[in-house]
Parts: sequence; C-alpha cells; structure tokens
Amino acid sequence: MADTKREFLRGARNTVPLFLGIAPFAMVVGVAAREAGLDAAQGTFFSLSMIAGTAQLAAVQLYGAGASAAIVLLTAMVVNLRYSMYSLSLHPVLEERSYIERLLAAFLLSDQSFVVSMTELETNPDNPSLPTFLLGSSLAVFVVWVAGIFLGFVLKAIIPAGLSLDFVIPLAFMFLLVPHLGGKDRQTSVLAAIVASVMLVPRLPLQSGLLVSILIGIGSGMAAGEYFGRAGSGGERP
Amino acid sequence: MRFYLLFGVLAVALLVIKGLFLCFVPNRKIPPFLERSFRYIPPAVLAALIAPSVFYAGNPAGLDVSPARLAAGLAAFTVALRTKNILITIATGMILLWVFSFLSA
Repeated sequence: MADTKREFLRGARNTVPLFLGIAPFAMVVGVAAREAGLDAAQGTFFSLSMIAGTAQLAAVQLYGAGASAAIVLLTAMVVNLRYSMYSLSLHPVLEERSYIERLLAAFLLSDQSFVVSMTELETNPDNPSLPTFLLGSSLAVFVVWVAGIFLGFVLKAIIPAGLSLDFVIPLAFMFLLVPHLGGKDRQTSVLAAIVASVMLVPRLPLQSGLLVSILIGIGSGMAAGEYFGRAGSGGERP
Repeated sequence: MRFYLLFGVLAVALLVIKGLFLCFVPNRKIPPFLERSFRYIPPAVLAALIAPSVFYAGNPAGLDVSPARLAAGLAAFTVALRTKNILITIATGMILLWVFSFLSA
C-alpha cells in the first residue's frame, strides 16, 4: 500500500515541471470559454466533462462563432485523433486492470501525462505500479488544467477588451508547435496549413475552414513524407 | 440546452477516442495510412489555429489584415524557436502587439 502511494506521488511529482506549459494554456481556454459566451454552469460542465487541450479550445471557439454541431464535433475529433495512438501504446500497461479503471485512465489521459508515463516506462520497464504512476501524473495535470480554465474564465470578466488578450492563444500555440517542426515533411505540413487557414478560415461557410485547413496540412505532410522518404523525416517523436 | 447536448456528445466522443484502444486492441493493425497521418496532426492543427489569428484582427478572424499582429506574431515565433519558453514567448508577443498598436493608432 505504501508502495502504491509512493508511485502515485512520484507520477504527480514528475509532472510538475510541465505545469509551466499547462497553466497558461488552460487559462487561455478559460478566456476563450468566456468569450464564447458560456455562463458559469456551462463553463463548469465544459471544464469537468473532458480534458482535451487543443480540441477543447477549438470546440469552444467554433461554438462561440456559431458553427454547426457537426463542424464542432468533427473538428474536435480530428484534432484529438492522436489519443488513439496514445491509448494503443498504453494498452499493455493497463491490460490487467478492469474496464472501469481503463476508462478512468482514458478520461484523465493528457499529452503531458502520456509523455511522463512513457518516459517512466522506458527508464523503468518492469515497474508493476505504472498504472498508479500514470494516475498520479494524469490527476496532477487534470487539477492544474481545471484550475487554469477557472482562473482564465474569471479573469476574462475583469480584463478590459482593449488589451487584445485573445492574442495569447496563438502565442501559446507557437510554443506548443516548436517541438513538432523536425523534418521537411512536417515543415511542409505546417506551411500548407498556414497558407490554407489564412485563405480558407475567413471564407469557407459554416466555420468549416479550420477543419479543411487541418486536413490539407495533414495531407500535405503525408505527401511530403512520401516524397522526401525517411531521410527527410528527421526528429523521431510523433 | 443546445450547449449541453453538443458538449455532452463531444465529451462522450472524446472519451471513445481516448479509451477505445485501451479497452480493445484491434485484431488487425491500424491501417498504415492512418498511422502515418498521426505524425502530422499536431503540426497541422497548431499551424491552422495560429495563422488566421496572427494574420487577421478580430475574433473570430475577420478579413482585416493586421500588420501589428503579424509583426508581433513573427517576432514571438522567433523567440519561441530560440527560448522554447512559453512565458517569454507570450510576454514578447503581447508587449510588441501593444507597442505596435499604440504606434499605429
């Protein structure tokens, strides 16, 4: 039992350095939720019913801009497809656990807790308490995430509009983009997505521009990956 | 009511995406086509979210090209590449945007 507690705390502790990236991003999502016109009850539901980072932000922005339900759902789901890759990698870790526990792990899973737990799996492959470690890490992220959304939601009401605080959103994303720029194929993907989104986002009907631009970016990256081959696709992390 | 229905469905859909392969492993491998696409989801998503809000003023992005945002955004991106620090990136971008907006007003 003492061992379980220790692994839980170790998972949480190993996640602390990442708080610096999570907290400002969560606050941005809180600001966006308020801008989209959510009231306090809606904001609470929004922040507690999912932990989905970028997808959550995209969904609430599209909702605020009056996008149709189909566009909101489709865009958020495409943005979050990467989680199916995460859960495939984590399957062996949670194989012995009940379905309820696996669903809980899935609900709480985030980019950050996935990365921290995979690092632990690499350095300590025989650790039998890895699920507990993962839970500690995921819960730490969840708490900071929800607190950050709450703070942004509350602060937005106080901060004057003239400060252009919405600009914090693309700035926070620039930081997130930096680790994904390795390889000509991914750079092609980024360039295509930039050109497509600048052209299409203000013009395509029903707020479908974001979804279409993302698909164009992914498609261009895959085409470039074929063209440049493995030699061009440096930077190993997905 | 529309809000709760939409975000309730979204919460379930996201849980399915996250949990499906934790609960069931597909007997066949993921189609290689889909697997290759994963590598490009984060960069494409982030770039498509960043670009319009740096290029255009207004939220949601209108069609007014904003030189102040563009200049501040490009400078902040350079800083992000150099420092890999989220707080310095945000501070640079916001301060430059305020300065440029003030100068052009």
